[in-house]
Amino acid sequence: MSPLTTAAPGAPVVDLDLADLRRDPYPAYAELRRTAPLAWVPSVGRHLLTRYEDIVHAEKLPEVFSSREEGSLLLRTVGRNMLREDDPDHRRLRSAAEPPTRPRQVRDLWAGAFERTAHELLDKIADRGEADLIADFAEPLVAANLALVLGLRDASAEDIAGWSRAMMAGNSNYADDPDIWLRAEQATGAIEDAVARAAEAARREPDGSVISSMVHAAEPVELTEIQNNVKVIIGGGVNEPRDVFGVGAWALLNRPEVLDRVLAEPSSWKRVFEETARWVSPIGMYPRQLTQDYEIAGLTLPAGSRVALVIASGNRDESVFERADEFDLDRPHRPHLAFGGGPHFCMGAWVARHEVSAIAWPLIFDRLKGLRLADGATASDSDSAAGRMDGWVFRGPTSLNVTWHAAQAA
Amino acid sequence: MPTVIFQLPDGTERKVTAASGTVLMQAAVSNGVQGIVAECGGNASCATCHVYVDADRSELVGGPNDVEDEMLDFTAAERRPTSRLSCQVELSDALDGLVVHVPEEQV
Repeated sequence: MSPLTTAAPGAPVVDLDLADLRRDPYPAYAELRRTAPLAWVPSVGRHLLTRYEDIVHAEKLPEVFSSREEGSLLLRTVGRNMLREDDPDHRRLRSAAEPPTRPRQVRDLWAGAFERTAHELLDKIADRGEADLIADFAEPLVAANLALVLGLRDASAEDIAGWSRAMMAGNSNYADDPDIWLRAEQATGAIEDAVARAAEAARREPDGSVISSMVHAAEPVELTEIQNNVKVIIGGGVNEPRDVFGVGAWALLNRPEVLDRVLAEPSSWKRVFEETARWVSPIGMYPRQLTQDYEIAGLTLPAGSRVALVIASGNRDESVFERADEFDLDRPHRPHLAFGGGPHFCMGAWVARHEVSAIAWPLIFDRLKGLRLADGATASDSDSAAGRMDGWVFRGPTSLNVTWHAAQAA
Repeated sequence: MPTVIFQLPDGTERKVTAASGTVLMQAAVSNGVQGIVAECGGNASCATCHVYVDADRSELVGGPNDVEDEMLDFTAAERRPTSRLSCQVELSDALDGLVVHVPEEQV
């Protein structure tokens, strides 16, 4: 089915500026939910689906809302991969890769190393009394953890983080910038080499990692498939936990009374994680392509139509989440959409939950006494030096500058 | 066509009829049973379709498979001896009248 690159008949056409979306997509999403819950947005080249119930509906119909989007930026960046496959190919690859990311494996196999790495990173900065918690802590932490879980023993945290940035830039390169494509190609080439070496080592000696699991899968997986899927996992595996860490830390540093409650009741870190992922979803949207004519949100989309499921918008839908723009740990439990839904439910969900809510957040507030934002910025002060939220396909603070009482740091 | 009764946390119940061979989670989701979230759509990777099977039919329903057993350790509501992920329970005529309890939390 060839992709249709025009609006469906009758679909409202809404011009959205990509730079505005990057700065803050939420006002535009609120307007779309209210007036055009399925709208063709020329700058994105897709119909944006923005209401919670419609997104959930689409996620549960993978046979209609196919992941096989032709001409997708992700396919161009990393090649064929499970994120852009439907079952049964998706299932074969997912089953091969998934076991090391299941929650018991995270707890029993990886958690100890995650915690050691977090302490090592904090040891490096504890005496300084100031840091950018994104660049100096969260990004190297999640990148090192990812190298471990994937089985890329020769790759440094810097390698992983750099590759991830280059590929994610490609994946959201709607402006078609040639420099961005070049950097993405250099990154994917380096990953292919690293995966080939790791796969060879894992063939001789299984190590419980994702690459090892794929090498020894019951249903055969080719090296190219392992390479492409590792690329996808590196793309998401860095920015998503890093960004949810940053958003959550930022939210709490701006709300001392909420932070005090959380510190007094450590079991609530899990709530912090889920509410943070709802409030500012690290992944804002993902694309689907229709396999048949289908009516949704009051319009019939022809087969081949390209749709973006805007989960960041669904997570702010007022009909589901009261005062949806507020960060509120006490809100009634309703499932958020940040991990996606259906067969593509985020494979890294359990890794991210553990490394962020059980390790990263508790440790920074425990070890960095008197932690506060560098210039006392408030949550609404989104362009302050303390940190700036950026992005709509992916969204998180680009930095999180903080200070603490260095002399007291353990 | 077995009928299943979902007992919800607020005390109400929902009766749902589904074809034999349908999984319990699908029967719930297709009929809009509140509290069965099923984020992953039935792939045993999210643990958000947790139910407690009524004790008197628990043996007939059977226990969890290996992957399900792992996921059940990480459900939002406490795990109990009769806990199952509803996406892994296949309905049959023998399960007609099955009662399952939906926990308070899934996420």
